[in-house]
Formats: sequence, C-alpha cells, structure tokens
Amino acid sequence: MEKAIIAIAAAIAIAVSTIFPAIAQGKTASKAMESIARQPDAAKDIRSTLIISMALIEALTIYGLLIALMLVSKV
Amino acid sequence: MDGRKVCSAVGGEEIAMMESSEVLFKIFGLGVTAEVVTMWGIIGVIAVICLIATGRMKERPGRFQNLIETGVEYLQNFFHGILGEKSRRYFPFLSTLFIFIIFSNYSGLIPGAGVFRYFKAPTSSFSVTLGLGIVTFLGLQYYAIRVGVGHFFKRFITPAAFMLPLLLLDEIIKPASLAMRLFGNIFGEETVTEELYGLLPIGAPALMMGLSLLFCAIQAVVFTMLTAIYLDEATELEE
Repeated sequence: MEKAIIAIAAAIAIAVSTIFPAIAQGKTASKAMESIARQPDAAKDIRSTLIISMALIEALTIYGLLIALMLVSKV
Repeated sequence: MDGRKVCSAVGGEEIAMMESSEVLFKIFGLGVTAEVVTMWGIIGVIAVICLIATGRMKERPGRFQNLIETGVEYLQNFFHGILGEKSRRYFPFLSTLFIFIIFSNYSGLIPGAGVFRYFKAPTSSFSVTLGLGIVTFLGLQYYAIRVGVGHFFKRFITPAAFMLPLLLLDEIIKPASLAMRLFGNIFGEETVTEELYGLLPIGAPALMMGLSLLFCAIQAVVFTMLTAIYLDEATELEE
C-alpha cells in the first residue's frame, strides 16, 4: 500500500512539474516569435535571451524529475 | 533494467536518483568507472585535434586549420557578445568548459555508448556534472577575487546588507542548478532513447537521437552561456 502511494507521488511530481513549465515555455516561445516577427533585426538578441529563459524554466522540470527519481528508488 | 543497479549511498541516506556506475578497475585505491575512461578518451581526442591543428601553423591556413580557427573565432564572438571587453580574460576558462561539455554530450550518441563496459556519456552521470558545477563555482570565486578582495566581499552586501544570506545561498544554488540541468537533460535523453529501444528496436530510437543532436548542443551552450552571465555579474565593477 505504502509503495503504491509512493509510486503515485512520483507520477504526480513529474506530471505537475512538466505541465506548468510547459505552459511557461509555450508562452515564452510565442512571445519571442512575435517579437522576432515585429523586429527581425533583433532576432539574435532575442534568441539568446530566449534560450536562457527556456533553460531557467526547464530547471524546474529537472527538479521535479530528480524528486520523481528519488521517490521511484524507494518503491 | 539489466545490469543496472539503482543504488548509491549519498550522505548516509540512500538517494538512488542516479544509477551508480560499476567500478571497472582501481588505480591507487580510486575506483575507475566507465565515465572516467570515456573522459580520458575525450581528453585524448581533443588533445590530438589540437596538436594536429597547431602543429604546423601557416600564415595561409590549410583546410583543417581554417576550420578550427573559424570555430575559435565563433566562440570568441559568442562570449564577446555576453561579456564585452572582459571576454578575452575569461575566454580560456569558458571555452574549455564548452568544448569539454559538447564533446561529452555528443559521445553519448556514438554507437556503442552505454553498451560497451568502458564507454558511456560522462555527462549522464550526476558525479561528473556536479564536478563541473564545482569547477564553475571555484572559477567564479577565483575571478571575483582577482578583481579585488574588497569587491569580492562587497558583492555580498550590494544592494543592501540584509541580502547577505540570500546572496550567499545564491552562490551555491547557481552551480548546483547548472549541474542538475545538465545531468537531468542528458540522463533523460539517454533513458528515453533506451526505453524507445525497448518498445521498438528499429527506427524509434533514431527519432530521439535526432532530437538529441539538437539538445546536446543546446545544453552545452546553455551551461557556458549561464556561466558567462554569472561571471559577468561576479566581476562587474560598480562605479
């Protein structure tokens, strides 16, 4: 019983920490594309900023993944 | 999950988030794992490339020298875009990190990686990325001290003194998150490729490996870009 709960907890950990960063990344990408379309000259700057912000958002997912892996090992 | 032991004792408690790699052989009591052997291989490859490229340098470069020069120039421009004039001083540190990480990431895509006992992508192990994180941490502190001892300590109380605990934590969290990001991405990729192989041995892993070609480069860029930005912050002199 306890193991089942831990397994469910791991699933929830990775699921929730994937959903919200995914939304955030989608918003970031759409905004970046809008601004590139508006100002193609600034595409280079926007791209590097985009990659950094994507990486920072993605870090949250990675934390979730680590927690999930730690939980899975306890099953 | 054959041959994969998910257990490793970190700090007394069993945190098995990373698969422990088996010790292949021992040198002076230190266990040598597949990652270490692969890193030796990568160091060898990079050294050979450098020796060939700089062995007979000519005024009018040949094809190979030209290629390497273009690469170095590209890196210089890349870091110049982030750090400005300071980039010349920090270029060796940053480009070494970049070249090592990109070679280690791509080594996971070479056929046989993870199958042979002596060959495994180094950055898919948390120990390696944590080591890179520690190197980054030490590098940041070293370059901050080089700017000035007063500057080094003043950094922690700007803009206000009550920020001290937060800024101290920040110094540790930055490299730790760098390490975790690199590990999580590369380990995730390898795991997904492996699971796809289990589902459909022909074709399916190739899809993920195609994506990995992109992700590996992006992760190396992200690691060094963030390091450069942190370096820029750490060595910034306020008027």
